[in-house]
Amino acid sequence: MNNRRFARTAGWLVLAGAVAAGVLAWYVTRQPASPFEQQPAAKADPALVSRGEYVARVSDCVACHSLPGKTPFAGGLEMATPLGAIHATNITPDRNTGIGAYTAADFDRAVRHGVAPGGRRLYPAMPYPSYAKLSDDDMRALYAFFMQGVEPANQPNIESSIPWPLNMRWPIALWNGVFAPNATYAAKPAQDALWNRGAYIVQGPGHCGSCHTPRGLAFNERALDESGAPYLAGALLDGWYAPSLRQDHNTGLGRWSEDEIVRFLKTGRNQHAVVYGSMTEAFNNSTQFMSDEDLNAIARYLKSLPGDPQRDGSPWQYQAATARADTPGAHTYATRCASCHGLDGKGQPEWMPPLAGATSALAKENASAINITLNGSQRIVTAGVPDAYRMPAFREQLSDAEIAQVLTYVRGTWGNNGGAVDAAAVNTLRGHTDPASSSPIILHMR
Amino acid sequence: MQLRINQKAYEVDADADTPLLWVIRDDLGLTGTKYGCGLAQCGACSVLVDGNVVRSCVTPVAGVVGREITTIEAIEADDVGKRVVAAWVEHQVAQCGYCQSGQVMAATALLKHTPAPSDAQIEAAMVNLCRCGTYNAIRTAVHDLAKERV
Repeated sequence: MNNRRFARTAGWLVLAGAVAAGVLAWYVTRQPASPFEQQPAAKADPALVSRGEYVARVSDCVACHSLPGKTPFAGGLEMATPLGAIHATNITPDRNTGIGAYTAADFDRAVRHGVAPGGRRLYPAMPYPSYAKLSDDDMRALYAFFMQGVEPANQPNIESSIPWPLNMRWPIALWNGVFAPNATYAAKPAQDALWNRGAYIVQGPGHCGSCHTPRGLAFNERALDESGAPYLAGALLDGWYAPSLRQDHNTGLGRWSEDEIVRFLKTGRNQHAVVYGSMTEAFNNSTQFMSDEDLNAIARYLKSLPGDPQRDGSPWQYQAATARADTPGAHTYATRCASCHGLDGKGQPEWMPPLAGATSALAKENASAINITLNGSQRIVTAGVPDAYRMPAFREQLSDAEIAQVLTYVRGTWGNNGGAVDAAAVNTLRGHTDPASSSPIILHMR
Repeated sequence: MQLRINQKAYEVDADADTPLLWVIRDDLGLTGTKYGCGLAQCGACSVLVDGNVVRSCVTPVAGVVGREITTIEAIEADDVGKRVVAAWVEHQVAQCGYCQSGQVMAATALLKHTPAPSDAQIEAAMVNLCRCGTYNAIRTAVHDLAKERV
């Protein structure tokens, strides 16, 4: 009797297990539906191709799918994950090594759902959780551009160095089920068209949250739109602190007007700041090419995201340095920094940014302040013209202790209250940002 | 835009972000001020703006409109500058000379603000680089100048 009951229970369990495994296997390899499935391939008109080029600019595809100075969109950028390196792929229309054989539906599934032909899941280094919001119209244009507006390049993809079994892709389908949305952007009727356009760009193609929204334990962005308080609230990534884009007075855009946001994204600079760190690439490749209307829309949307005084602290106000500064940090500042940033910390706007009231001097996270001092800024190219003034690298000129002292001075003067920097933190980032070191900075998903 | 350099007015046609150094050297032909690193690190391009030493390679020209600019060409028209040059000659400071116009500007600015600087103040102010290593001669000259006023 007991044996029979046991056998029957075991039988049911095996059956249930097999069904569950079958469902799981189906789920993790299934091809998501695409509205482009039944559409015949047709040659797109030039207007659609050029519209697609604009969508590709706004989406900043080139940032990862190209190497500096190499063929655009032929792939190759290495991203070191904690498990091993992965490489951005060739997305030129080459039939053998690129995406030339993709149908519009294949392309749609890859971009908006992170699923390659055959059901292989892409790593979420590809920001498909954001691109999921792209409209059908923009997808159609984007496909037309990549098929007809991009030169095919025969460049084989580089296999990832992640070892088996960690390189199995199917678990990503489960991650997607929890964290990746699968609906396009739905306009909020309570808001006007400009706000909705801004929300669409920021959340979708612009994928601003990839850097500016803090990530959870599973590397998921903790919010994907304005309904979540962590959305665009600032995050540490790749050795830079991407500041809040909300209305935080100190560490966000609280002191920026809509016009100043537009100016920053269009020219790379305004009276508050100059692009640096990872934002330089986003500016060089993407934001400066956006239309004024789209930049206005972004500014309108960002200005609608409330700040959090709890997180942000008491509002910064300029205070003239009172005591005669004779600390080593003040001395280093006077000799190394003041020529550009001014003894009063006010910089020479819009060319050299102020450090008084700068996000990097007010945020508790000090990675950006240390990183820019060690490594300087990248070349900013506006409308084809490189910048006249650039932050030099002090890696070889200042010791860890000297950098710690000068940043402690900067972050504690003129009303700044970001807090002291210790030499150990400088040393750590110095190691991680040394291209010759054995532990270079880990590039996360962007 | 109009610039005042060495007590003279110049009409300049330049982009707002052009470095002051380019304007001084290329547009106005005042080539005593030198280009060194272009990154505000070496001090070869030092000039005085309203009596303060600034590095002209990182000074957008739009920011100095309406201010009094002094370059090495006119430094001896200034009492302090004249004494500095005399001390430089007396101590035979220059070797190749490339950085020396900047060194003289730095010393002049220091002594204009602080006629009798302490050793620490001299150390803090005289930070321009010299590939020939004339630092000892520079220090001796500045210390002499400092002593004259004690």
